[in-house]
Amino acid sequence: MIFLKLILTVFLSAWVMFIGLLYKGIDRKIAARLQARFGPPIIQPFYDVIKLLQKENIVPENAVPWIFNGAPWLALLASISLFFYQPMGSLPPILGDRGDIILILYVFTVAAIAIVAGGFASGSPFATVGAQREMVLLMSYEFPLATAIIALAWYYSKTFSDLPAFSLYTYVLKPIWSHVGPLGFLGMLLIMLTILVVAPAELGKIPFDIAEAETEIAEGVMVEYSGKNYALFYIADGVKTLAMTALVVNMFFPWNLSSFFGLSGVGAYLLDFIFFWVKVLALLLISVTLVRVAFARLKVDQIARFYWFPLLLTSMVGLLLVVCDKLV
Amino acid sequence: MTLLYTGQGFWDPIAWLFGTAFASILVYWIWSKGRGDYKKGTEQVKPFLCGNPEPGKSEIHVRASNIYWGFVEALKGYYEPLIGMHTGELSDYVGWFIGGLALLTFVILVV
Repeated sequence: MIFLKLILTVFLSAWVMFIGLLYKGIDRKIAARLQARFGPPIIQPFYDVIKLLQKENIVPENAVPWIFNGAPWLALLASISLFFYQPMGSLPPILGDRGDIILILYVFTVAAIAIVAGGFASGSPFATVGAQREMVLLMSYEFPLATAIIALAWYYSKTFSDLPAFSLYTYVLKPIWSHVGPLGFLGMLLIMLTILVVAPAELGKIPFDIAEAETEIAEGVMVEYSGKNYALFYIADGVKTLAMTALVVNMFFPWNLSSFFGLSGVGAYLLDFIFFWVKVLALLLISVTLVRVAFARLKVDQIARFYWFPLLLTSMVGLLLVVCDKLV
Repeated sequence: MTLLYTGQGFWDPIAWLFGTAFASILVYWIWSKGRGDYKKGTEQVKPFLCGNPEPGKSEIHVRASNIYWGFVEALKGYYEPLIGMHTGELSDYVGWFIGGLALLTFVILVV
């Protein structure tokens, strides 16, 4: 059984890479329209990858080759592996009983660390500055994110003692909004807000794209990457964006359509699967595309201050409200 | 498979490794379709600095204080008193150690 699941990971990998690039294209198209531009075709990211594969794969003379070449692999594999633990509609995750939400958060960090390692290993001043900024970003958003996850898991552990509180599948089976009281509802809204605000930072998107910051440090961590190495990072970006959005969908919007239409069997799985990706796209457009079009890039210290004070306070208040809801 | 269970959390590192190993088949296929060549020993392998000459290695070395600059700047209200406490005198550090130990003992015994 486990062997069959592992074979499925290959198909899953192909699917998330495909949909990651497709949604990247939709994101670029919508962003362009919001800025009164025509924008590239939706399949432009596929053209980009094909073009990158035809370019030279330069390894700078100052680079540490094995880290420089290994970082894109690690980033892409870590991003893909995030989907091993994520349910998609009514389809349970392939390795859902083999990893919890804490693992998912750590694998997100692995993908970010791969970018940092690649940047430092480039041996370029711009890349080093970018990698340094990525580190600061990581240290900034981890605390509010951890607080938000702990609040959610704590509530589940107190409400459903027979289910694993840290399992993402539990959150899908028992949607949080159906079980919280008024205080908990308010608390969960704050927790959801915290995670939504962390999402663009986790993905390195505007207004938190300080690690790449094209106009300041010429793509920063990515400045020395080209050819197939850059293609892997490019695909990883698309997959990681999907993974973050899918995580929020699974935690806060896990509802399916099959029960509404009274479907069962393959039809139910298919409808829920499609609906899941529609929800992911909708959330992506709201939490990533709209935000990156509407805001300008923040400075490094502004980001650290923002995450450590207002957002941490938001998540703490959310946690407090959730605790009050359960105990009072 | 080896499932590590921590009371509430759980994960299986072997399953993760196998999963990523299987996924890497596809990643390798994509990667292998790309070009692997470039012009070694030419200007192409110099770091990109917008056309400026590359400074010496010591001039662009990034120190730990540079790495954490944005973070320390944002939390300077916390870091500045801490840095001020670092006098470099051993007796001060021993004093902090004894004070900390006394506080811990108090917490453990009384609270």
